[in-house]
Amino acid sequence: MTKISENTTKVHHIRHLTPSTYVLRFDRDQRPFTAGQHVILGIHGQKSAREYSIYSSENDDFFEVLVKAVKPGDVSQKLKELHHGDLLSVEGPMGFFTIEPEIVTQGKVVMIATGTGIAPYHSYVRSYPQLDYKMLHGVRYASEAYDRADYDPSRYVLCTSGENAGNLHGRVTDYLLENEIDTTADYYLCGNVKMIHEAFDILKEKGVNHAKIHAEVYF
Amino acid sequence: MNMSDSERVRTIIETQTGYAWTDNEEEANMLGILACSVRQKAIDKVYSRIQKWNKWKHKKSLLTFISGCILADDMEKFLKLFDIVFRMSELEKLPEMIRQYGVVTPASLFTDLTAMPKNESINTFWKVTPHYSSGFEAFVPIQNGCDKFCTFCAVPYTRGREVSRPSGEILDEIANLVGQGYKSITLLGQNVNSYGHDKKGEEITFPQLLERIGEAGDNSGKEFWVYFTSPHPRDMTDEVIEVISRYKCLGKQIHLPIQSGDEKVLIRMNRKHTLEKYRDIIHTIRRLIPEATIFTDIIVGFTGETEEQFENTRKIMDEFRYNMAYIAQYSQRPGAVSSRWVDDVPTEVKKTRYHKLSNDLRRVSAANNRAMVGKIYRVLVTGHDRKAGYLSALTEGKIVTRFASENHDLIGNFVDLKITSSTDFSVEGEVITKT
Ligand SMILES: Cc1cc2nc3c(=O)[nH]c(=O)nc-3n(C[C@H](O)[C@H](O)[C@H](O)COP(=O)(O)OP(=O)(O)OC[C@H]3O[C@@H](n4cnc5c(N)ncnc54)[C@H](O)[C@@H]3O)c2cc1C
Ligand code: SF4
Repeated sequence: MTKISENTTKVHHIRHLTPSTYVLRFDRDQRPFTAGQHVILGIHGQKSAREYSIYSSENDDFFEVLVKAVKPGDVSQKLKELHHGDLLSVEGPMGFFTIEPEIVTQGKVVMIATGTGIAPYHSYVRSYPQLDYKMLHGVRYASEAYDRADYDPSRYVLCTSGENAGNLHGRVTDYLLENEIDTTADYYLCGNVKMIHEAFDILKEKGVNHAKIHAEVYF
Repeated sequence: MNMSDSERVRTIIETQTGYAWTDNEEEANMLGILACSVRQKAIDKVYSRIQKWNKWKHKKSLLTFISGCILADDMEKFLKLFDIVFRMSELEKLPEMIRQYGVVTPASLFTDLTAMPKNESINTFWKVTPHYSSGFEAFVPIQNGCDKFCTFCAVPYTRGREVSRPSGEILDEIANLVGQGYKSITLLGQNVNSYGHDKKGEEITFPQLLERIGEAGDNSGKEFWVYFTSPHPRDMTDEVIEVISRYKCLGKQIHLPIQSGDEKVLIRMNRKHTLEKYRDIIHTIRRLIPEATIFTDIIVGFTGETEEQFENTRKIMDEFRYNMAYIAQYSQRPGAVSSRWVDDVPTEVKKTRYHKLSNDLRRVSAANNRAMVGKIYRVLVTGHDRKAGYLSALTEGKIVTRFASENHDLIGNFVDLKITSSTDFSVEGEVITKT
């Protein structure tokens, strides 16, 4: 595992989860990292680069990101075509969408995501086995319940808006509206801004203090 | 930041290349720009300038250079237009580039256009003794780069990650400035109060740095004010405010960017602090330093900003009663995350919001200024006023002041003024004593 230069790293492999979504694994090069942080990735030698939350655990000696190839997709489509040994440019990890250590050990967290917004939560769950969590994952179809087997089924709620195939037929915000909210928990919101803003309003309305709501907007 | 950068560039050029400074653009044989990608307008101006300069090349010998915050896309275009393009972290190489010009092509000076400044090279840059352009006001960089990644901002992509300058160097530079009689010193950084975060355990923290400056300053027997800009609310601790309250030389003016008064807009901007946290900071300032003035930065018309969200920003103008706010209409910054989001607030709406908020500011600032009338303020005389027979000055809280005087020797010195009248954004006074 040789480090080529500070900003360059090598692709291990790609694991395809759906026709559009994949997990890209690459060298970590011993970069320090706290679950919830992201990297800026691009194809080596090309100008465009994008932010991707780290999907792998703090304890893994590689990095993984969960990427949905979108259109027009300057970066997400191109990353999908990479092969073992190809070079990536990488900046980071950086960012503050992390969980305070005392919350990891003593708190309760409710993680709410749409689509690939589940990526940092995968890292939390893999990094902190003792974490007392509940996860709400909002997708259109159950096939987008990425790596569902990695979560404790009693803590994972799949909300499918396009078919009746999850724990709830509807959006994560429907779940929040219909169910009792634990105001002592810390809430994490990640993914599409529309969901984040709606969930924020519902949580505040139901009495959750803003200091306990943490958000990461992807788009 | 560019003020301090340009002072350092000037020192390097004057001391190592044999060129002498001129204020006359048309007379110069070497012309350079320190660019700022933060505003598209600034970059547009660069293009019109270089086109003009390149025309002059037909008539005289002229070498052009550009540096500063430049995005990769612009960098490529600038390589074709300017003779020399360099990153500030490469400043030490500038004399060599000037000497080699004509032997190598500008592009060959760069191996990796996308590389961020390396820590070692920014350290070398800081060591350059700047040529200060004012005899009483100086800017001292203490930190470079930003790790915050606000979605509207390109700085983390152009300046790279946060790097703190060694505190010993900062304290030496300030001691030197104070020794030379400088009266206003501003500590600079993109994220000034995250000073030391990149060197936890090895370097002192921002409040500790302020404390050392305060201690040394108050014991120096000299009179001067030290400011800092720009801090981030996330890193603004009670300790910082408490230290400012204790030392006479630490200026009682705090610039605390809020950007929006709406919680959801703050989330989309990735500011990573709540309005409540910001409110707590303001309360602490008011409690510990009641005389402090508070300035801010606000963006109106950010992607997705609704009328209701904008109205929340208007409310904070009344709640926090800012002395000054730098209000900007949102525009996409190439490279920033939000440049990939639809800029969906129409220009006309942005303009209307800008005018409404500016009027709110005017009202609040006018009231603050009215409250100064009849009181005595120590001010630093900064230059000639536009009004004939008047000098301009700044209070410790950086409120713009003018007073009748023909005594030009007062420029760069402190005087006491009794405030006699006020306008929306300034006050007028009469001299009481002279230092
Ligand atoms: C802090 C941060 C972390 C991020 N982490 C991830 C991550 O872990 N995985 C990931 O796939 N993306 C993530 N993104 C989004 C990512 O950075 C890119 O925006 C995305 O890959 C699209 O880039 P592109 O160049 O391929 O397409 P572009 O042409 O730039 O974007 C096309 C459009 O796709 C939409 N879009 C962007 N991201 C997504 C997405 N994830 N799912 C559905 N639609 C989207 C947007 O409307 C966008 O305008 C993150 C963004 C941020 C700011
Ligand atoms: S704190 Fe935000 S606005 Fe300030 S330089 Fe960093 S990213 Fe830009």
